[in-house]
Amino acid sequence: MTDFASGPGSAVSAGSAGPPEAVRTRGLYKRFGPQVAVAGVDLVVPRGSFAGLVGPNGAGKTTTLSMITGLLMPDAGSVEVGGVDVWRHPVAVKAHVGVLPEGLRLFERLSGRELLSYNGQIRGIRKEEVARRAEELLNVMDLADSADKLVVDYSTGMRKKIGLAAALLHNPKVLFLDEPFEGVDPVSANTLVEVLQRYTSSGSTVVFSSHVMELVERLCDWVSVMNHGQIVAQGTLSEVRGGHTLNEALLDLVGVRGTGEEGLSWLGSSST
Amino acid sequence: MAWLFVRLKLRLIAGNLRGDTMRQVGFVFTMIAAVMVACAGLLLMSLLRFAPVDVAVNAGVVLFTVLTVIWVVGPLLVFGVDETLDPARLTLFPLTARQMAVGMFAASATGPWPVASLCLLVGAIVGLSRSFTGVLIGLVAIVLQVALCLVASRAVTTALSRVLRTRRGRDLLAVGVVFVILLTQVPNLLLNRGFGADPQEFLARLASVVRWGPPGMAAHAIADGGLLGLAEIVIVALVVLALGRLWIAALGKAMVTSDSSTQIGSVRRSRFDGLLPGGALGAVVAKELKYVRREPRGRMGWMAAIGFSGVLMFSLSGGPNGLGGSALAVAPACVGALMIGLQAANALGIDGRALWMNAIVYSSDRDLRTDFAGRHLAVSLVAVPLLAVLSIAAALVAGHLPWALPAVLTSSGLLLVSLGVGAVTSVILPYTYPDRINAFTSAAPGQGGVAFAGSFGAMLGTSMLAFPVVLPVFLGLTWVAALAVPYGLVVALAGRRLAATIGYARLPDLLGAVSRPA
Repeated sequence: MTDFASGPGSAVSAGSAGPPEAVRTRGLYKRFGPQVAVAGVDLVVPRGSFAGLVGPNGAGKTTTLSMITGLLMPDAGSVEVGGVDVWRHPVAVKAHVGVLPEGLRLFERLSGRELLSYNGQIRGIRKEEVARRAEELLNVMDLADSADKLVVDYSTGMRKKIGLAAALLHNPKVLFLDEPFEGVDPVSANTLVEVLQRYTSSGSTVVFSSHVMELVERLCDWVSVMNHGQIVAQGTLSEVRGGHTLNEALLDLVGVRGTGEEGLSWLGSSST
Repeated sequence: MAWLFVRLKLRLIAGNLRGDTMRQVGFVFTMIAAVMVACAGLLLMSLLRFAPVDVAVNAGVVLFTVLTVIWVVGPLLVFGVDETLDPARLTLFPLTARQMAVGMFAASATGPWPVASLCLLVGAIVGLSRSFTGVLIGLVAIVLQVALCLVASRAVTTALSRVLRTRRGRDLLAVGVVFVILLTQVPNLLLNRGFGADPQEFLARLASVVRWGPPGMAAHAIADGGLLGLAEIVIVALVVLALGRLWIAALGKAMVTSDSSTQIGSVRRSRFDGLLPGGALGAVVAKELKYVRREPRGRMGWMAAIGFSGVLMFSLSGGPNGLGGSALAVAPACVGALMIGLQAANALGIDGRALWMNAIVYSSDRDLRTDFAGRHLAVSLVAVPLLAVLSIAAALVAGHLPWALPAVLTSSGLLLVSLGVGAVTSVILPYTYPDRINAFTSAAPGQGGVAFAGSFGAMLGTSMLAFPVVLPVFLGLTWVAALAVPYGLVVALAGRRLAATIGYARLPDLLGAVSRPA
């Protein structure tokens, strides 16, 4: 269920079905100085989907996700999560979304367990309940042995896992993940995937950005492709890839540059 | 090889400046500072010529030693600023340790500070030499002295680079900075306590301690100008060569050993957490208390505050212009309170990039107010007992124990005022703390101005707001101290309210300001 309409000041109909989209942005726009990072994004993510936001580096994925999650003020456009405007009714939205941001920004000097405990408590969950959930999450994430080590000493995989645990702690209805698998070892990645699949199978929504196409193809049922700050294709996985692999479809959509046959004649063992 | 490294260093300096106005301004200031040190050093050292010979020699011996110490300690404190200092960046190139040593030596001789040091030392030739041979020996001696500074500093940095690359090593070093800062207070203290009644004798005693160290010998050689001087610079040259060998050995080792930061320990689960109430306020208090303990940047501030007021306790009472009366007990505690309070002038900066965790949750200014209240409570929980100890100690030093009461009340009130002011500056002038804080930079590149305005504004605001209660106590109206705490509580409350209203409205801006790459 992605119906947040019970929140105070809800702007959207409280019909039992609620809006069909978990996330919808209209004309989202952001510029940094002379550079337009996001140029009118209309992102749609249906409820209960495992959605992938893909595109080359610098396409505006991270900026878009930051604006959707209320961490970056858009210059123009609107964002609705569960039918509620993020920037007009932050209370209703923030309580129901979980975020794993790019760059693993965590309280470095807390232990994993303390981090989860802090996170749960500032969200107003009872202390005992937080402790119970944290313990389960630490076990599932295979972090029980490292729970009392400081986050600053965690490896990348461990940081992603503790970040995901923190994002899941309050049982959000929509989860936003920015490059969750970047720099993660295969074992940790597998754990992350299992947890996420279990989470979406109950009807919750996951939106994640990635440039690992194989992973997106394996996990997602909904794909949005971004390039130069705009959505260039959006739909179910089969619609977007249209008979090719997702990788081929993406290269088609963003336009591939020359492969550089000329030059590099010295490279390889045939030359001296 | 040497030339290549010199060009690499110049390229790094230029690349660092490209397109960043604040860095360019910073670089200009560095250059101005270096030129000033060079000119002032040249002039002052030259002036030693007019001093009696023994005084000039003693001064030279001490100054050469101080210069060497600065060169050894300085780079340790700013380690990471200069890529050419870290051998790990060069390990993949097919270079022998000797080639690397030559290259890194050339690179480290490139820059404003080595040139400034050389200028200063040229002044030493003018000031110290008393004969033509002295000048000749001096020319060799100052080159050797610069080489000694460079090689000693490189050898120490390289030997410690493995430690410096680990988290614990850097944590330790950050706290070490405090001691260096406190050390600068020692001469002041010594002079105040009357150790330096006769400056010349003081200088002579100091010089006799460091006379036979290599820098001391280099300085003495210039003044001597004879065979003894020649022997001394030969010894200095041998020391430089030996240090060079040690450095090459350290380099060879540093290139193939890994850092040990992966061997990590666990932290104890805090029993104290159980005593704190649940909910957002308790969570923030618990987090902040842990940060006081575990965050080296925070620890640094606390230790500096305590250490400084400790020194002040003694230096205020002695000397001809010392304070008198209850102010003797009140002032150290108040200075400690102000220094602790000023750390809260950029409260969100300590969270840094992790602030998003709060930003993603806080959905009204009330949440932010609770956050600030938690921070203030945590600081007070640690600071008030410390201030009490400081007050009692200061009262004992001043010789009248009852003065401890107004001291602890006034300083606590001052602390609360500074927390209230700090909450407001935190949201108006937020900036990023660099990962590796050192004595010279306290903000991310480009935010130095904000940092300065923030701390200065907090200090000014605190002083002005605290004035009505602190001044009467200083003047002897100790009963006013009873008003300090309630007054401070009101200011803190008002500060939190104002800060939360301003801060919540610009939460994304705050987040951006405290998570700049540093």
